[in-house]
Amino acid sequence: MVARSSAAPEPAEQVLVITRILDAPPSLVFKVWTQPEHLARWWGPEGFTLPSCRMDVRPGGVYRFRMRSAEGTDHWLRGVYREIVEPVRLVFTWAWEDSEGEPGHETLVTVTFAEDGGKTRLTMRQAVFESMTARDAHQGGWASCLDRLAEYVAEA
Amino acid sequence: MSPDRLDTTFAALADPTRRAILARLVSGEASVTELARPFEMSLPAISKHLKVLERAGLIARGREAQWRPCRLEAGPLKGAADWLEHYRRFWEQSLGRLDDYLREFQRKEKKRGRKK
Repeated sequence: MVARSSAAPEPAEQVLVITRILDAPPSLVFKVWTQPEHLARWWGPEGFTLPSCRMDVRPGGVYRFRMRSAEGTDHWLRGVYREIVEPVRLVFTWAWEDSEGEPGHETLVTVTFAEDGGKTRLTMRQAVFESMTARDAHQGGWASCLDRLAEYVAEA
Repeated sequence: MSPDRLDTTFAALADPTRRAILARLVSGEASVTELARPFEMSLPAISKHLKVLERAGLIARGREAQWRPCRLEAGPLKGAADWLEHYRRFWEQSLGRLDDYLREFQRKEKKRGRKK
């Protein structure tokens, strides 16, 4: 994790990076990310539903979701779309609301959809906060460092 | 863990020198001189980094010995690790459901196509 000299393949400022191959073309994957009737069918962890889902998919447009857990607890999530490039890229902010409806800690989510032999390679990144993006750009090893530290913490 | 605390933790972690210092401390306590050795940096510069880490609660410094050894504090790191784990689970499970939904969607489209 110490200052790797080779260029990191992923921008280091993004703390969480998840990649997945989906058996569908990017045009379809993009569609199910940007249309509420489709999004409501898969959004959220196992057991969650999306009873309300408002989204204004354009740069500067706002989204607000009500997510319901299997136990029936509601969680409100909101954010602003920053970039919409059909069908390759979606960037939006993300903040959970507290019980008063005030948005909390904001993070930035970047999703890319790359065509890969008729399938889609989806990469999603979640950055902790935006000011870090500029500050920590081009520095390697951020995510792997946290993984290691997490291992350490698990043992502590 | 409060969002403010999380911000402080991640801000402290957002520097390669400070991350390297933490990584070194995983293997045990160390003095400022020991921590400075791998870097081409003055002791005051290293001390500045240590102050950031100390303020974020990521390290603690001994009062007893003259050389004030630094050691890792697990609490805030655990908060950062929990944050990551929370979102990892959110996305892994959502993307799993997305995968299922896309399959189902395409199967239905195919059926509809055949009926025409």
